[in-house]
Amino acid sequence: MFPLAADNCLTRNDWICGAYYASRAGVLRDALVQHVALVFVSVLLGMLLAIPLALLARRYPRLEGVVVGTTTAIYTIPSLALFSLLVPLTGLGVVTVVVGLGLYSLTILVRACLDGLASVPADVVEAARGMGYSGARLLRSVELPLALPTIMGGLRVATVSAVALTTVGAILDYGGLGTLLIQGKETDFRAQVLITSLLCVAMAVILDLALVAAQRLLTPWTRQQVTS
Amino acid sequence: MDAAAGDVVIGEVYHWLSDPAHWSGPDGITVRLTEHVLLTVLSVLIAVAIGLPLALWLGHRGSGGSVAINVTNIGRAVPIVALLALLSMGVFGSADFGPFGRAGLATLVTLSLFALPPIITNTWVGMREVDRGIIEAARGMGMSEAQVARRVEVPLALPLIVSGVRLAVVQVWATATIAALVAGPGLGRIIKHGYDAQRGAEVVAGALVVAVIALALERFFALVQSWATARASGQAARSVGAAA
Amino acid sequence: MRRIALITACFLLGLTATACGSDSFKSDSAGGSKSVTVVGQQFTEADVMTQLYKLVLEKAGYSVKVKNFGTRDIYLSALQNNDVQVAADYLSSLTEALNKKKNGADAAPVASNDQAATVAKLGELAADYSITPLDPAQAQDANAYAVTQAYSDANGVTKLSDLAGKTVTLAANSDCPERADCAKGLEQVYGIKIAKVLPLGFGSAETKNALIKGEVQLGQVGTSDATLKNKALVILQDDKAWQNAENLVPVVNSTWLKDNPKAKDALNALSAALTTADLAVLNGKVDIERELPADAAKAWLTDKGLL
Repeated sequence: MFPLAADNCLTRNDWICGAYYASRAGVLRDALVQHVALVFVSVLLGMLLAIPLALLARRYPRLEGVVVGTTTAIYTIPSLALFSLLVPLTGLGVVTVVVGLGLYSLTILVRACLDGLASVPADVVEAARGMGYSGARLLRSVELPLALPTIMGGLRVATVSAVALTTVGAILDYGGLGTLLIQGKETDFRAQVLITSLLCVAMAVILDLALVAAQRLLTPWTRQQVTS
Repeated sequence: MDAAAGDVVIGEVYHWLSDPAHWSGPDGITVRLTEHVLLTVLSVLIAVAIGLPLALWLGHRGSGGSVAINVTNIGRAVPIVALLALLSMGVFGSADFGPFGRAGLATLVTLSLFALPPIITNTWVGMREVDRGIIEAARGMGMSEAQVARRVEVPLALPLIVSGVRLAVVQVWATATIAALVAGPGLGRIIKHGYDAQRGAEVVAGALVVAVIALALERFFALVQSWATARASGQAARSVGAAA
Repeated sequence: MRRIALITACFLLGLTATACGSDSFKSDSAGGSKSVTVVGQQFTEADVMTQLYKLVLEKAGYSVKVKNFGTRDIYLSALQNNDVQVAADYLSSLTEALNKKKNGADAAPVASNDQAATVAKLGELAADYSITPLDPAQAQDANAYAVTQAYSDANGVTKLSDLAGKTVTLAANSDCPERADCAKGLEQVYGIKIAKVLPLGFGSAETKNALIKGEVQLGQVGTSDATLKNKALVILQDDKAWQNAENLVPVVNSTWLKDNPKAKDALNALSAALTTADLAVLNGKVDIERELPADAAKAWLTDKGLL
């Protein structure tokens, strides 16, 4: 039906294939850039939503169940259904994907913020109040810094998860490396599956290490404690 | 997706769920629900059995844990759909695995890897967050390292550990629907069938069952967590008292 | 703190706003070249078709953007609203999707093996959603059922009738058991006993893998799948002409079409040239030789003198 294909690493479907990287360098680079941007913006959006939600839940303990429950319920919505619900509101493009991914990350981030705030010792807060701290100043200077290790732990899990989750954006053609990964899986294209998986892992490791470094810069005191 | 989400009226979903025929039989909700529970429980148990001791040890030991956590976290970086496909078409194969169905082994491994990061990260952070003063006091009282870990650190870290397990359970429960991609067991089969057959009510009904039970699991673990928190504050008070 | 939050929010809004801007699918007729968005689904053939449409529309003077979506439902509403203008679709699948959209999931099927009758039906249904099908190509990617070469040789099976009375397991789409063009039809039209249906998808890697491993004897695939030969799989002939006509057909937004007769001519010229054999070659270029869909499409169009 069609001429016999030449014998090379592409037609042999090798796991590692120089001709693949050469012919797809641009495609891979674009996908990688899109992937990093999607992870960054969606986790940032998740964090911007999670902090006020956690503060709200702490201020009104009755709301805690509702807030955590809602993020759980959102997480259980199948991605295709969530995107279908969002498309009429946010369109057929990247905004829908970012909002969807941001909403999915809430289930991790809201808990981390709540756990972090809960882990601040009550006596420390009392002492700070005694010294005249209150409201936003208490939160900023005492509570958030002490809650940071737990929040950062959650942020690490959320970021690594977001690297994988971004793949669901492929439904709307905004899945970064995930679009290529799914395509490779569907067409049994080993070189593509392997390199996109490895790039996902590498991206997650680098982002995770960057967060660890950021945490050390933000909370120098925890480090002193550990090494002492 | 008008057919699957937009156009579906609550009445249709109710109608679908209240039809006894949809609950019985080999493809009914009852069977799929049982499979889904089995899949979730075993995956989380495997993750706890591996992750908890590891994270407790790393947390107790102190330095260097951050990088170790990084290594265990990367299981989550590979998109789960691809991981399942790779494992089921590769090393673990797609043979039937008891009640876990077709490609059951690959599905269990994938979900266990998925459950590890919250358990490991939370346990490690929980152990690291324990007040150094309390630990030093315990050592000063002549406790062995194992005793320090068991009697001081773990009880104080328990709220965060439970929170990690709670997150793992809820996420694995919600994610176990992917087993449907390899014709595996669980409620994902109902959702996938609904999509393929353009039956929106079935999609929403399947997703609703997943969501409602996720919320129930969530509430249950919230109770366990508040119990652990109460216990931890008691423990902290006692430790501080003992140290003083 | 508040200022940081504000700056971050602005940054985020700025990002999404520019994203919204660059993302706009609306056709812009004010500029020198008219812009148009071509959409399709996410598998090799859809990639190839959207690239073919893109190239002929660019030749006709349009500035073209291609988007491939996970499901048809995602782009159908957008096509209706003129948010996207052209879709690469399949005659009977689209007809049935619109039929179900209009008459519910249990609507009686209206597509058939009769191409002309199905085209007429599609025209009627599409009019309700302000979309218009253009000329279908001769090229088809119909629903088909494959076995391994080894099974075919051992049992002397080359057409579906040869399986009459036999009991087989089938890998197919998950809605197969209740479909007239799947398990139901195989039983009623051909008298094949289907012991079990494994819901592994239409022509998916999993379905082909299950066939190769012997987990199932019969697998649901597409007639233009170029990888079957490589995997030693053969399609059993549909000797009772039971399967629906699945010609490749461009569908466009009706309002947009009125102002763009040039686009219609370009797409119809493409359809007139595209045969099933061409389609299989193009799919093979991508799935076996691993060419980029855009390159394969360009080479074929150049060869046919359409560029």
